[in-house]
Amino acid sequence: MLKLNNVTAGYGSTTILHGISLDVNEGEIVTIVGGNGAGKSTTLRTISSLINPTSGSIEFEGRDITKMAAHKVVELGITMVPEARQLFPEMTVLENLQMGSFTKVARPRYKEKLDEVLTLFPRVAERLSQEAQSLSGGEQQMVAIARGMMSCPKLMLFDEPSLGLAPIVVTQVFDVVKKIAASGTTVLIVEQNVFQTLQIADRGYVIENGEISMNGPAQELMGNDHIRKAYLGI
Amino acid sequence: MDLIFTNLVNGLMLGALYAIVSVGLTLVFGIVKVINFAHGEFLMVAMFLVFFATAYFGVHPYVTLVVVLPLIFGLGMLVQRVLIEPLQDSDEHIMIFATVGLSIAMINLMLMLFGPDIYSTPSSGLRTVVDMGPAMFLTGQLNILIAAIALVGGIHLFLTRTQLGRAIRATGQNRAAAQLMGINVSWVYMVTFGIGVSCVGLAAVLIAPLYPTSPEVGQYFVLLSFVVVVMGGLGSISGALLAAMIIGIVDAFAGFYLGANVKDLVVFGIFLLVLIFRPQGLFGGARNMSHVS
Amino acid sequence: MSSNQTSPTTPAVLRFFGVDNSADKRGALYIFVLLAALLVTPIVVGNDFVYHVFITICLFAGLSTAWNIVGGYAGQLSLGHAMYYGIGAYTGMILVNAGITPWIGMFVGAAVSAVVAALIAYPCFRLKGPFYALASIAFLEVFHVLAIEMKWLTGGATGKMIPLQVGWEWMIFQDRLPSLLIAFGMLCFVLAIAQVIRHRRMGFYLIATRERESAAKAAGIPTVKVRIYAAAMSGALVSMLGTFHAMYLTFIEPDSAFDLIFSIQIVLFALVGGIGTVFGPLLGAILLVPITEISRGLLGASALGLHGFVYGVILMLVVVFMPDGVVSLLPKRARKALDPEQFDDTTGQPIGDTELDAPQLDPIQTKARPPLGDEVLKVDDLVKNFGGLKVTQHVNISLRQGEVLGIIGPNGAGKTTLFNMLSGFLEADSGSVVVMGPDGKPHTPKGVADFVSLGVGRTFQIVQPFAAMTVEENIMVGAFYHHPDVDSARRVAGEIATELGLGRFLHEEAKNLPIGGLKRLEVARVMAMRPRILLLDEVMAGINPSDLVEAIRLIKAIRDTGVSIIAIEHVMRAIMDLSDRVIVINSGAVISEGDPESVVRDEAVIEAYLGKEAGNAEA
Repeated sequence: MLKLNNVTAGYGSTTILHGISLDVNEGEIVTIVGGNGAGKSTTLRTISSLINPTSGSIEFEGRDITKMAAHKVVELGITMVPEARQLFPEMTVLENLQMGSFTKVARPRYKEKLDEVLTLFPRVAERLSQEAQSLSGGEQQMVAIARGMMSCPKLMLFDEPSLGLAPIVVTQVFDVVKKIAASGTTVLIVEQNVFQTLQIADRGYVIENGEISMNGPAQELMGNDHIRKAYLGI
Repeated sequence: MDLIFTNLVNGLMLGALYAIVSVGLTLVFGIVKVINFAHGEFLMVAMFLVFFATAYFGVHPYVTLVVVLPLIFGLGMLVQRVLIEPLQDSDEHIMIFATVGLSIAMINLMLMLFGPDIYSTPSSGLRTVVDMGPAMFLTGQLNILIAAIALVGGIHLFLTRTQLGRAIRATGQNRAAAQLMGINVSWVYMVTFGIGVSCVGLAAVLIAPLYPTSPEVGQYFVLLSFVVVVMGGLGSISGALLAAMIIGIVDAFAGFYLGANVKDLVVFGIFLLVLIFRPQGLFGGARNMSHVS
Repeated sequence: MSSNQTSPTTPAVLRFFGVDNSADKRGALYIFVLLAALLVTPIVVGNDFVYHVFITICLFAGLSTAWNIVGGYAGQLSLGHAMYYGIGAYTGMILVNAGITPWIGMFVGAAVSAVVAALIAYPCFRLKGPFYALASIAFLEVFHVLAIEMKWLTGGATGKMIPLQVGWEWMIFQDRLPSLLIAFGMLCFVLAIAQVIRHRRMGFYLIATRERESAAKAAGIPTVKVRIYAAAMSGALVSMLGTFHAMYLTFIEPDSAFDLIFSIQIVLFALVGGIGTVFGPLLGAILLVPITEISRGLLGASALGLHGFVYGVILMLVVVFMPDGVVSLLPKRARKALDPEQFDDTTGQPIGDTELDAPQLDPIQTKARPPLGDEVLKVDDLVKNFGGLKVTQHVNISLRQGEVLGIIGPNGAGKTTLFNMLSGFLEADSGSVVVMGPDGKPHTPKGVADFVSLGVGRTFQIVQPFAAMTVEENIMVGAFYHHPDVDSARRVAGEIATELGLGRFLHEEAKNLPIGGLKRLEVARVMAMRPRILLLDEVMAGINPSDLVEAIRLIKAIRDTGVSIIAIEHVMRAIMDLSDRVIVINSGAVISEGDPESVVRDEAVIEAYLGKEAGNAEA
C-alpha cells in the first residue's frame, strides 16, 4: 500500500533520514520505533509531505507521491495525527471535526463519519461545543484522532500519540488505535513507548541515526536482545 | 451641544473608515501572522486607481469598485506569493523589514510616477451635506458607516459559516495541522492577504471622493489603523470595529478642540498606553498574547 | 575565539577589545585596513563631493552600529532611532544658540537621549518584534509633534538655522577635512564600544535575553536592566552623531530630524551588513551610501523618490535573498575573523543527530553519597488560582540538603506552576516559600533574582538553548553569575561541560545538539551557577532509554555534591531510581507522599495517574 524507497530527507542543511526504505501493507499495524532524534517523526512528516525528500521515492497505492503537496496527499487517503495533538485551539471541537472532513473526498461522508467517531469517543461527543483548548491533554488527543478519522483515511499515521500523557490515558489511546485498525484502516505508528507499541503492532521497523537498522514481526522484535536492551531497558 | 453632537457623529463616521482599513490589517495579522506595514500603501494605490478610473472613464467613483477590488485583491495575492511566503519561516524582524521595504518602495514609486502633488477625485455628489437636526455630515460619510457595518458583519459570517472561512481560521490557528486536513495553506494565505488588502480597496473607493489622493496618504491611515488593531486586540475583528469607533471619536474631538498636531499626540499617547498596559487589547482576555513574552 | 589557542603575547589593549588569538588579530587587521581606507581615500582624492560621501558613510555606519546594540544584540527592532538623532541635533542647536559649544552640547544631548531611551525601554521591554517596532514609531511621532509644537524652543515646523560660527569650537568648518576627522573619530568610538559590549558579559547577557528571556532570568540575568542599559547606550551614541550632523548640515527641521524613513535607513545598513554582528553595519553603510549619494548627486531633484524606491527594493531583496546580510557572503575565514563569537562552529557544517547521538556523550563519573543534611527549602500552604482554576491547593513541601524529591502527577496537575512559584517566576496567592540561605538563615525570596541569589536554579520543560551561541557560551551565561570576567567564566564553563559529558561539543552551536544533549546543556547552564537547590522540570522526557541510565547517573552525581533536587518527571523508572521521597499531585493538590515504593502502591495514585496496568508500565 505504502512504499518508501531509499528516502533521504531533513530540515534545511541538516539531513535526518539517510535512505529509508519501508513498506506498509493494507490492513496492517506497522510501527517505527527508535530513540529521540533518530528520524521517526521526520519519516512521518515526509510521508505526509510536510517536508519533501531530497532523494528517493514514496509510493502510495502505486502512485508516486514523492513531490506531491501535503493537501493532495490527504485527498489520496493518508492522514496524520500529529505529535502533540495540534488541534485548532480557538475552534470548537465540532469545528475541529468539520475541518477533518475538509477534502472533496471526505465532505460528502461528513455525517456518517461524525456519527462513527462520536460513537467511538463518547467523551468527545459531550464536548462538541467547547473550544478545543479548554480540553485536557487526553481529551485533546482523542479529538485529534477523531479529527483524523473524519478525512476517511485509508492509511492513518500516528506520531507519538502517547507523548505527554499520563500512563492511564496512554493505555486508552493504544486501545483506540487497535479499534481503528480493526475497522479496516491501515495504521503506521511512531512511538517511543516501544513496549506498548510492539504489543499492538503486526510488524515493526527500528530506526537508528536515520537508517532502518532492523525490521520484522513485532513479536520477534520484542524478543530481540538488542532491542530489549536499548529500548525496553530490560 | 450641537457641536458636541456633530463631533460625535463625525467621530463615528471617521471610526467607520478606520474600521474598514483596520479589519483587513487585523485579519492578515491573525491568519498570516504578518503585520503588514505596507497596508496603507495598498490604500494609496487603490485611491490612485479610483482617481484614474473616474478621470478616464468618467464614471461615478463607486462604480470603480468593480475594477479596483479585483486589481487590489490580485496585487495582495501577488505580494503574499512573492514576498511574504518565501519568508514565512524566517525571524520576525525579517518580515517587518520586508513589509517596511514594500511600503517605502510603493510610496516612492508613486512619487516617481506622479510626483508629490495632490489628486482630487470628483466628489460626484458625495460631499452633499446632510443636515439632520443637531448633526451635519456628508452623504459619502454615511455610506462609509453603512459599508463598515456590512463589511464587518460579512467577514464575520464568512469566517464562521463557510468552509473556506473556517479553513482560513484553522490555518491561522495551526498551519501544519491545517495542511494535514488537506487545506492548501499557501492558497489560503494568498486569499487571506487578498481579502485583507481588498478591505482597503473598498476604503479607497469610499474615501477617494472625500479626501485628496497623494503618495503619502496611506501612511496617515495606516498608523491610525495600527492603533486600532492593537487596541482591539490583534486578530480580533469585532475588537477592531469597537476600537475604530473609539479612535474615530477621540480623533474627531481632539482634532476639533486641540488642533491637528496635538490630536496626533493624543492618539499616539493612547496607543502607547494600550501597548504597554493592555497589550492584549482593550476588550480581550488574556488571549492573543503572542506578541509579548 | 575559543577555538583558537589564546596567545599570551596579545597586547592588553587588544585583549580589552576581545581580540586574543590569531584569528581575532587577522580580523582586527581587516577592520583596521577598512577604516584606514575610509579616512585616507577622500584625503587623497581631495574632492568635496567625495568628502561628503565619506562623511555620510561614517555618519550612517556610526548610527547603524549604535542602533545594532539595541536592534541586533538585544533583538529589539527599534524603528524610532531617529528620535535620538533628533534629540542630539536639537540639543546641540539649542545650546549653540545659547552660546554653548556643540562639544558640550553633544554630551548633554547624549545624556538626555540616554534618559529618554531608558524611560522608553522600561515599559516597552516586554514587547516583541513588530510591537516594539510599532511602539518605537509611535514615540518617534510623539517627538516629531513635540518638535513642531514647542516653537519657543525648536523654532517649530519651519526649522532653524545654526549660527555660522566657523572653527573647531563650533564644529563648523570651511573645509570638509575636519568634519571627516570628527565623523571618523566618532565612528571609531562607536565601533569600539559596540565591540567591547559584544565581547564582555553584557553582550552575552543581551543575546541570552534576546534568545530566551525566561532562561536568561533563571540564569540570574537582570533582563530589564541589561535592556535598559543597551537602550540608553545606543540612544546616547546615536544622539552624539545627531549633534555632529546638525552642525554639519547647519540647519534642522522636525520633518528631517524625526523622520521615520531616516530611522529605517539606519536599520537598513545594519540589515544589509548583518544584524547583530559588530562590523556588519559598517559594511552595509560602505556598500549602500555611495550608491544612493552618487545617484542623488547625479540626478538631483529630477529623481524624486528614486533613492527611497531603491532603498525599499534593496530591503525586500536583502530579506528574501540574503537575510543574514553581506557578512554571511564573506568567505568563512574572513567572517570568523570579523566576528568570532558569531561563527564559532569548528566544523562549519551543522552537525546531524548521527554524529551527536546521545550514547556518544561522555559517561558521567559518580562519587559516594553523603548523608542528608538540614532542611533547605520549606513550602507552607501554597495556594495559586488562575481565575476560577485552582492550580495549586494548599501544598506543603520540605526538602533536605542532598535529598532528591520526585514530583509526579497527570498533565495539567499543576506541577510546572508549582515550580514557577518555587523559582520566583510566579507569585503565590497565599502561603510561603522559605529558603535557607548560605548564611544558615531562613529567607522568603520574592522574584526570580531573589531565588537565584539564594542558590535556587531551575531547568525548563521545553528546552531551547540560546540558539545563536555555542555550547560553551550557553554555559558561560550561567557561569557569569559568579564569574563576571569572560576568561574565568569560560574556564568554569569548560569544567562543567567536561563534568556533564559535553566536553567535546564545547564549540558546537548549541542548536545542533540532539535532544539528549540539549537536556544536559540545560542542566549544565544551571550547574554553572553553582545552585544549592536544583529544580528539574522533565529533564528525562523524550530521551533514549539507554541515555536515561546516563541521565540518572548524572543527577545522582549532582546530588552527591550536596545539591538538593526537586524533579518533575513522567518517566517512572527515573522517579523510582532517583527519588528519596515522591510527592503525587493531582488537580493542584498533594494526594500522596512517601517513599517511591509505597507511593506507587497507593490506591489514590493508581486511580489518578498510573492506571491499573502500572506494574509493567514502561512509560
